[in-house]
Amino acid sequence: MTKVFVGMSGGVDSSVTASLLVEHGYDVVGVYMKNWSQDLPGMKCPWAEDLADAKRVAVQLGIDFRVFDFENKYREKVVQYMIDEYRAGRTPNPDIMCNQEVKFKLFLDTALEQGADMIATGHYARTRDGELLRAHDENKDQTYFLYRVTSDALRQTIFPLGDYTKDEVREMASKRKLFTATKKESMGVCFVGQVGMREFLSQYVETKPGNIVDKQSGDIVGRHDGAIFYTLGQRHGLDVGGGLPYYVVGKDMDANVVYVSRDLNSQEIWRDKIELESIHWISKPVVDKVQVRTRHRAPLVEATLDATTLHLARSERAVTPGQSAVLYDGERCLGGGIVLH
Amino acid sequence: MTQQQSVYLDYAAATPVDERVLAAMQPYFCDRFYNPSSPYAPSVQVRRDVEDARHRIAQTIGVKPADVILTAGATESINLAMTAVGDGEIITSTIEHPAVLESAKQYSHTLIDVSSTGLIDVDDIVRTITPNTQLVSIGLANNELGTIQPVRRIADAIQRERDRRSQVGESRPLWLHTDASQGVGQLDMTVSRLGVDLLTLNSAKCYGPKQVGLLWRAPGVQLRPIIHGGGQEAGVRSGTENVPGVIGFATALEIAARTRNSETKRLQELRDTLQRHIESGIDIAEINGHQKKRLAGHLHVSVPGIDAERFVFMLESVGVYVATGSACAANHGTRSHVLEAVGMSAQQADGSLRLTLGRHTDDAAIEYAAEQIIIAVQSERDRIGL
Repeated sequence: MTKVFVGMSGGVDSSVTASLLVEHGYDVVGVYMKNWSQDLPGMKCPWAEDLADAKRVAVQLGIDFRVFDFENKYREKVVQYMIDEYRAGRTPNPDIMCNQEVKFKLFLDTALEQGADMIATGHYARTRDGELLRAHDENKDQTYFLYRVTSDALRQTIFPLGDYTKDEVREMASKRKLFTATKKESMGVCFVGQVGMREFLSQYVETKPGNIVDKQSGDIVGRHDGAIFYTLGQRHGLDVGGGLPYYVVGKDMDANVVYVSRDLNSQEIWRDKIELESIHWISKPVVDKVQVRTRHRAPLVEATLDATTLHLARSERAVTPGQSAVLYDGERCLGGGIVLH
Repeated sequence: MTQQQSVYLDYAAATPVDERVLAAMQPYFCDRFYNPSSPYAPSVQVRRDVEDARHRIAQTIGVKPADVILTAGATESINLAMTAVGDGEIITSTIEHPAVLESAKQYSHTLIDVSSTGLIDVDDIVRTITPNTQLVSIGLANNELGTIQPVRRIADAIQRERDRRSQVGESRPLWLHTDASQGVGQLDMTVSRLGVDLLTLNSAKCYGPKQVGLLWRAPGVQLRPIIHGGGQEAGVRSGTENVPGVIGFATALEIAARTRNSETKRLQELRDTLQRHIESGIDIAEINGHQKKRLAGHLHVSVPGIDAERFVFMLESVGVYVATGSACAANHGTRSHVLEAVGMSAQQADGSLRLTLGRHTDDAAIEYAAEQIIIAVQSERDRIGL
């Protein structure tokens, strides 16, 4: 019997994942990856509740359950990377790094050491012969976050949810009376949540207030409390009142200046050429025509890749340094790279 | 699925508010909501009701009403009691509730060990006392194991130390505090018989509302206020009185005192039945704590090799609610300091359940719970081949 270690986060997706594997006759071991447990100001880290929920479902399914403590490695590989990137004025994607370094490397290796034949997670994606394929539910497809996983890891991975929609998954959860069936979705970076990034960064990075400058006129139009908190293309959160909204069009980290513009079509935030670094391939493209996605759920854009330069068929807004450009050939996710500029 | 039975066996964690208690509290939310410190007649009436409740509370423990300080629960009461240490030192034990241990950490303190059944040796306290010791704090009954401490004998030992100090002319006072929260309704709370100088009680553990408690202190014990404000509770604990809470607490304590003898006997029989079932149904079960000096409604059992937290989840699915003190996720993955302190092996601690019975536990509940516990153990043993 194939022994599968399934990452159980205490959410509905991974609960259904484990349940489906049990039903398909696998010998399933549930694993909670303890990556982060620290509370942040005003935010209680829900890890203990999540762990209890994951275990509860494992008990419900009658499967073995273990906790893998990855806190040190997570801090070193994901959190430190994130902090460094923000410090450098870029906008990193910790979920992508977490998949690359923790879930599909550390978790996989630890599971194999402990007797697993395969691992499984609740990601919405599909695999075939070491290739990564987009999920059946286009709206939930998570391949954007998985493009840095190796083909070898994918060969040893099962994504049972790739053929289902989120609604179907919720329905399966309630049909099976899984304890997590009605649990609220967690949002954003697993351990801080979308709103928490600011508070989180403030803990680790010293920030200074600085000027917000209109790129066209050169006028100071407001103050910010730290350039690292601002992301290219961002509109809200700018404390500059009156008239048309401003958009962030650039940052000067050394001068601690955030540049903004009222021009939605500002050349600063529209790009038809993207320079990539740290390119990773799951499957090498056979033709030079690819489709590219510059953020999760963004529409695919036709492009050609010339060495490390992507030429887009039409301009994309707010292609942000530090974020990823993920390349597709139809349903296949080929890989991608990190936006340099 | 048929409507399943539900059996609550975690009375040591929380008790349901008694209907009589609720009824007594009811008028004080909307009708008699007045601030007891205001000058007009309805307020004066509320003041009288609060003082009447204080009087009734005092009667159940045999003390003067003026020495009863009403607090928001036992944790606050304990924190306040600890201030009696003055510039001296505290002695307490390794198995006390975190409210005691964490409070004691704020001062110079010494922890004494306990036996494998969780019992404190009075001689250990005597040996640990120095001329600087000003406060000894020992829980009347341990909240995890249910072990009842020899508080009276500790009080006698402390009296001997006081006598010694007065003979040699040492002026430092020495006080004995006990958190008796777990024992209400099962043990005698009469302060003169306990021999203590400070006593903590908790309404939430005796069928009263949560966040209500008291600290009784003997005349002469100096406390340092930790909550400052309008000077209520004789200046020791400021804040407008929790009127419905205090009224409810008084009723709860009166019921507990009135029913203590019969209820203790009833709980002990039920507990013994549950223990017998578990011992005969699970050959590897081990009963923890002191077999005689133990709260009547308390049963602490280990099934070594089994993960007690899985058990909690298995049992909840059949409507049986029990506690585990060990390696529990809700406990942030740490083992119970009590089970570690009594020298329990990790395996035994991780496989341990705390079953605590109370007013609504009956024969049928015990039969159902015993059956479900035995089934759950068997299915876990089958699964892991134990």
